[in-house]
Amino acid sequence: MERVKRNADIRLTAFFGVGDVSPHCGEMSRDEIVRRLVGTVYRSGRVPPTGIDETVAAVLKRETDGSTVIMDGLALPHARIEGLAEPRVAIATSERGIVWPGEDSAVHVVFLLLIPRDKPALYLQILRALTTALKDDATMRTVAAMTNAGDIYRFFESGKAYLPRYITAADIMSRDFITLRDTDTLQTCVDTFISNHLSEVAVLDRDGDLKGVVRAGELLRVCLPEYLLWMNDLSPIANFEPFAQVLENERRTWLSEILVKEFPSVTPDTPAIQVAGEMTRFKSSKCYVREGGKLVGVVRLPKFLNKIFRE
Amino acid sequence: MKFNPKVLLLAAVVALVSLGGWFGGLASGFTQCVTLAVFAGVISTTLFFWERRVAAAFLGVAILIATHAMTLQSILKATELDIIFFLVGMMIIVGVLKDLGFLTWVIQSIINRKNMNGVSFTAILCVLSAVLASVVDEVSSIVVVLALVFQVCDTLKLRPHPFVLMAVMATNIGSSATMLGNPVGIFIGNKAGLTFAQFLVGATPVAMVSLVATLFITVFWFRKDIRSMTLAMARHRRMGLGPVLKIPYKTGLFILLSTVSVIAFHHEIEHALALGGAANKNAFLIMTPLIVAGILMIWRPHRARHYVEKDVEWWTLLFFMLLFAIAGSLNEQGITQNLADSLTKHVSGGPRGMIPLVLLIASLGSAFVDNIVFVAAFTPVIQALVERAADYSVLWWALLFGACFGGNVTVVGSTANIVASGLLEKHGHHPIRFGTWIRLGAIVGLVTALIAWAMLLIFPSPRPASAIEPDPAPVVEELPSLNG
Repeated sequence: MERVKRNADIRLTAFFGVGDVSPHCGEMSRDEIVRRLVGTVYRSGRVPPTGIDETVAAVLKRETDGSTVIMDGLALPHARIEGLAEPRVAIATSERGIVWPGEDSAVHVVFLLLIPRDKPALYLQILRALTTALKDDATMRTVAAMTNAGDIYRFFESGKAYLPRYITAADIMSRDFITLRDTDTLQTCVDTFISNHLSEVAVLDRDGDLKGVVRAGELLRVCLPEYLLWMNDLSPIANFEPFAQVLENERRTWLSEILVKEFPSVTPDTPAIQVAGEMTRFKSSKCYVREGGKLVGVVRLPKFLNKIFRE
Repeated sequence: MKFNPKVLLLAAVVALVSLGGWFGGLASGFTQCVTLAVFAGVISTTLFFWERRVAAAFLGVAILIATHAMTLQSILKATELDIIFFLVGMMIIVGVLKDLGFLTWVIQSIINRKNMNGVSFTAILCVLSAVLASVVDEVSSIVVVLALVFQVCDTLKLRPHPFVLMAVMATNIGSSATMLGNPVGIFIGNKAGLTFAQFLVGATPVAMVSLVATLFITVFWFRKDIRSMTLAMARHRRMGLGPVLKIPYKTGLFILLSTVSVIAFHHEIEHALALGGAANKNAFLIMTPLIVAGILMIWRPHRARHYVEKDVEWWTLLFFMLLFAIAGSLNEQGITQNLADSLTKHVSGGPRGMIPLVLLIASLGSAFVDNIVFVAAFTPVIQALVERAADYSVLWWALLFGACFGGNVTVVGSTANIVASGLLEKHGHHPIRFGTWIRLGAIVGLVTALIAWAMLLIFPSPRPASAIEPDPAPVVEELPSLNG
């Protein structure tokens, strides 16, 4: 079953026509193909309010912030354009491939995306629709090999290229994260925090299920017994050396003793707004994404903000 | 949504109580039956759906008004705002004591002790639990003593469960010793018109004897765990039980002693201020925590909002207000009068004969639902009995001990028990099993109830000044034992 319900009203092809597709482009550089696709959008008549040079500059500036190659052979150069009413898309394919700066392999499908600045989530929705349509390397190569613009258009028209109703935790989560075991000691945890510049880490049990998180704040709780924190003013015990206690106990304190069991947690299909709500409610900069008890991703607030507001 | 079979159970209890009331002669009309059903529904909700008790009380009050069982005015009058004010004041004072480090000092002074063993720690723990519960309140007390238990057990790598159980049981017993220990105490004291000093005479000795008995029982019951603690303490002697610190305590101690002292003389102060009569019953007792809290908040204005918002358990107090209103409906509808009639008719032996019955009902009731629920429901019955003969005032004490001691029987028996279970889980331990708790709780509950019964029979209990002297003519006819 498809996890995210399709929005039957909005297909990916709503944002481009046959005329916006440029099949079998010859040998070109990234900048040349971007300029060509922006030109295609301008020629289609539904022109962005900014000039063509400014639009090209905006797309290339985004490229300098980080490559937009989202999967092997597929690039998604994009920019947020002030005053644009609807998203605009133009597609170019190249069977021989386009050399993309910073990428090892050539790009065969280029998908230019211009997004209205006041609709930040659309980028992620279109991204999801596109990755669903070009679900694997073989499909992408099939599209790249198509010689006719109409065929490419029909591929997206007939495929599963629908915009999801909303963006989900899966769209914005990171699959790279560091975890610890509940049987690890406080010493391991402190070392992990220091060496990875972390302030919070997920703790898994023997079966790999997410049991809780350990925060740097919890380490301070180990330093300071709970009953000391009842006092609003700790200056009367300023001579107390709490960290000596930690040094004494760090090898004998297991993470299961200090992990926090209440933390923001969602499933991959949770709407992004709910993810934001969880992080706000817990005053946390991370939200853990789990599926069947297993940790599958972590939404980090900086990346979340970047995806929604900047990318 | 998945259907919860407890809903059926709740409906069955409500139906049973309503029909029982109808056939038993407690409720004769539609409004009386609705009143009984609402009361049973709210009580059952506290048993089956603890987290929805406030919602159930909201709806219960609405039903009472809609069915003309109570008017809006009578609901407002029955919310016992005087008791709520008292509890708000006390909660703020406890918040200030925490803030100033007094409660930290209490724990630290035990952590700092040298040459303790398992038995001495257990004795200190139980006495501390009881004393703290009697001067602050049972919930604050259990939070403090469990912080001590967790500190010691975590340091010694021991299972905290036995010590948690002992602390909770001592807390419940200690909470009966004064008016300050338990909402039940101030509720009964205020309803009966008992003074703080009368509580010291009537309740404290029973609580002390019960505490000693409980200490013996629990030390024997957990002898293996206590022995393990002794061994662990011996091994750990060099490192101590925690950081050795000097905590400032004098300001907090002064505030606590001043508050308790003023409360202790509230009756005399009321006389001096000419605050007499039913309209000003225990006026200074109620006002003292508010006065002290007011002074403390003037002294610490930057923390005043914190005390009011964070240290006052508004959720619990709201439930109490609504519960008191619902219990008041039993009185307004004459159901408690009917029950009082039924009791005097069917129970022989007069007031003394009723002591074990009230102890039993209050203990069993408090074992399974919040003790304030039962006390609120039973208070009008005892009021009705005391209006017939002053000798029945002994039942106030039976109700107090039954409600407080019965709370030891099960894990849901008192707020302190529930808080303790929550703290255990929060510290990563599994909760105490129902069976484990009830095995010890039933013994402690039974022994302490027997102690209370015996002491109420042997020693004269203080009577409220307002208790009406018995009218000899009807009492002699109906209750021959009163003459004996």
